[in-house]
Amino acid sequence: MRISTLSGWLAAGLLFVGMSLAGPALAKTYKIATVSPDGLGWMKQLRAAAKDVEVRTEGRVKFKIYPGGVQGDDFTVLRKMRIGQLHGGMVASSSLTRFYPDLQIYSLPLQFRDNDEVDFVRKRMDSTIQQGLRDNGLETFHLTETGFAYMLSQAPVTTLAEMQGLKVWVPDGDPIAAHIIESFGVSPIPLYLTDVLAGLQTGLIDAVAVPPLVALALQWHNHVSHMTDLPLMYTYSMLALDKKAFGSMSEVDQVIVHEVMDAVFMEIDAANRADNVKAYEALLSQDIERVEPDLTGLDSWRAQADETIEGLVASDDLSQQSVDTLRKNLLEFRANGAGH
Amino acid sequence: MKSPRIFKCLVVVTGLFWLQGCASLISNVTSGLAEDLSSTILNSQDVETVREGIPAYLLMIDSFLHGSPDNADLLLAASRLNGAFSVFTKGARSKLLTTKSLDYAFRAGCLTNSDLCQLRELKFSEFQTEVDGLDERDVDVVYAVAVGWTSWIQAHSDDWNAIAQLGKVKYLMARVIEMNESYDNGGPHLYMGGLETVLPASMGGNPEAGKMHFERAIALSEGQFLMTKVIYAQNYARLIFDKELHDRLLNEVLAADPVALDMTLTNMVAREQAATLLADSDDYF
Repeated sequence: MRISTLSGWLAAGLLFVGMSLAGPALAKTYKIATVSPDGLGWMKQLRAAAKDVEVRTEGRVKFKIYPGGVQGDDFTVLRKMRIGQLHGGMVASSSLTRFYPDLQIYSLPLQFRDNDEVDFVRKRMDSTIQQGLRDNGLETFHLTETGFAYMLSQAPVTTLAEMQGLKVWVPDGDPIAAHIIESFGVSPIPLYLTDVLAGLQTGLIDAVAVPPLVALALQWHNHVSHMTDLPLMYTYSMLALDKKAFGSMSEVDQVIVHEVMDAVFMEIDAANRADNVKAYEALLSQDIERVEPDLTGLDSWRAQADETIEGLVASDDLSQQSVDTLRKNLLEFRANGAGH
Repeated sequence: MKSPRIFKCLVVVTGLFWLQGCASLISNVTSGLAEDLSSTILNSQDVETVREGIPAYLLMIDSFLHGSPDNADLLLAASRLNGAFSVFTKGARSKLLTTKSLDYAFRAGCLTNSDLCQLRELKFSEFQTEVDGLDERDVDVVYAVAVGWTSWIQAHSDDWNAIAQLGKVKYLMARVIEMNESYDNGGPHLYMGGLETVLPASMGGNPEAGKMHFERAIALSEGQFLMTKVIYAQNYARLIFDKELHDRLLNEVLAADPVALDMTLTNMVAREQAATLLADSDDYF
């Protein structure tokens, strides 16, 4: 399975060992942990990048990678970062909301309509998200696409009313996702990732909203029969280092690490896009029936989404400024005739 | 002839080297030659000579199949031989060989049991029903299909349509274990160990189930099939980051006598792999 496959979605982490007894000029090992298994393509790219950093910094900066979730899931990695036991992680954006809530801006429901809109907006807003995280203690690198989440369900879903009858999985410990699902009148069923397959098999849940590559990699597609052809939300992940740890590198080394890591995650980002396109087609060839949403009712979906977003702003889970910026960019893109 | 063994596991699961194919192939020509050649290959300590020799047999078996396209034994032999040699190849050639291997296995299966003819095309729920109903008497072809399918997915891991079929293969291999867990000296457990350790627990995998299968495979081969420990170390110990287990398993491989009836060749390769993994151990952990 390609590394890029699962890369965007899951994550990893960078964990540090060599605490700060050494000064910036001394060699230091930064330990990286990820939930992704070692055999994936993107892990090979990350290992190669780590070697490149080591060579270019003449051994002053080394990365040691802990794959396969041996340091725990995203939230565990972040907790270990907080106590200084770990210093970074390749994590899903949804795990970082406490650092900078506005990074959810890409994952708001029904805002993007296709990849072109994503590309246009990301060019204008990625740096804002990264600065927001930097201001709150995390140094991040090129953001990595996981992809559009689509509704995969046992029963066909063409209208909001049909969706409201579903039992939809949400990741355990992700209250924002649960809130968004609930705002559509749907019952969110929080489960650990490891329990989702069994949940689908037993009927505890009957729908998941995930990118196609996730559904295929985890074999969830075998237990659903329909996919609603409506991109629900955009998901992404990133390599995040503790800012103090990153700051312990010399300025020269910081530049090198950024050059190398930004470049490799840019490649992974593009590979994930390509993988999602292929995975979408593969789902259809695996007897998953594509269902068109009821166009006449689409406005009510979007109105509900807007109401949900207003609620997030009202509860201070999101800033009005970020919402306004997103909408301004989307309007600009659509006004230029490139949108729909 | 003793049961053959799987040969080599690459990153995810398989990489097989199913040398029984050679024996079965030749046995269609002359049983005496078959036994001698099979025994020579399986018990050879010269991996390179075997590697260089197999392509000739691939050509030969294809020619036999041209004349006897409905010979199930011959199809099974061809499936095994193509799958076996695929571990020595990469890219397009590996895809071609594993595709041939799986196609031959399904053709053999279809000739043996008509329920297997459309197995691959079934929806998952229908697939489960069909597999549940398979008879233990068909374990030869069912195992061949499961192994061929696993190798095919491995070779096509850049294709989402292939990855999508992993769940079916796991289900089929689990059925083989139900039919006869000691088949091929525990080969089904070895493959299931690999399949269960494709993903870490945090991503929905089940490494502990994989461990159980590896341990069972070792027990069923009485520890003589050294490649099991190599795959156990590579897929499980590395996945859960257990250096002690990793190094212990690999050191056991290096310390063991590789000469074992019909396992010598594979054990020689296992030793090479074990040395490579051990050399990388400090860097990895």
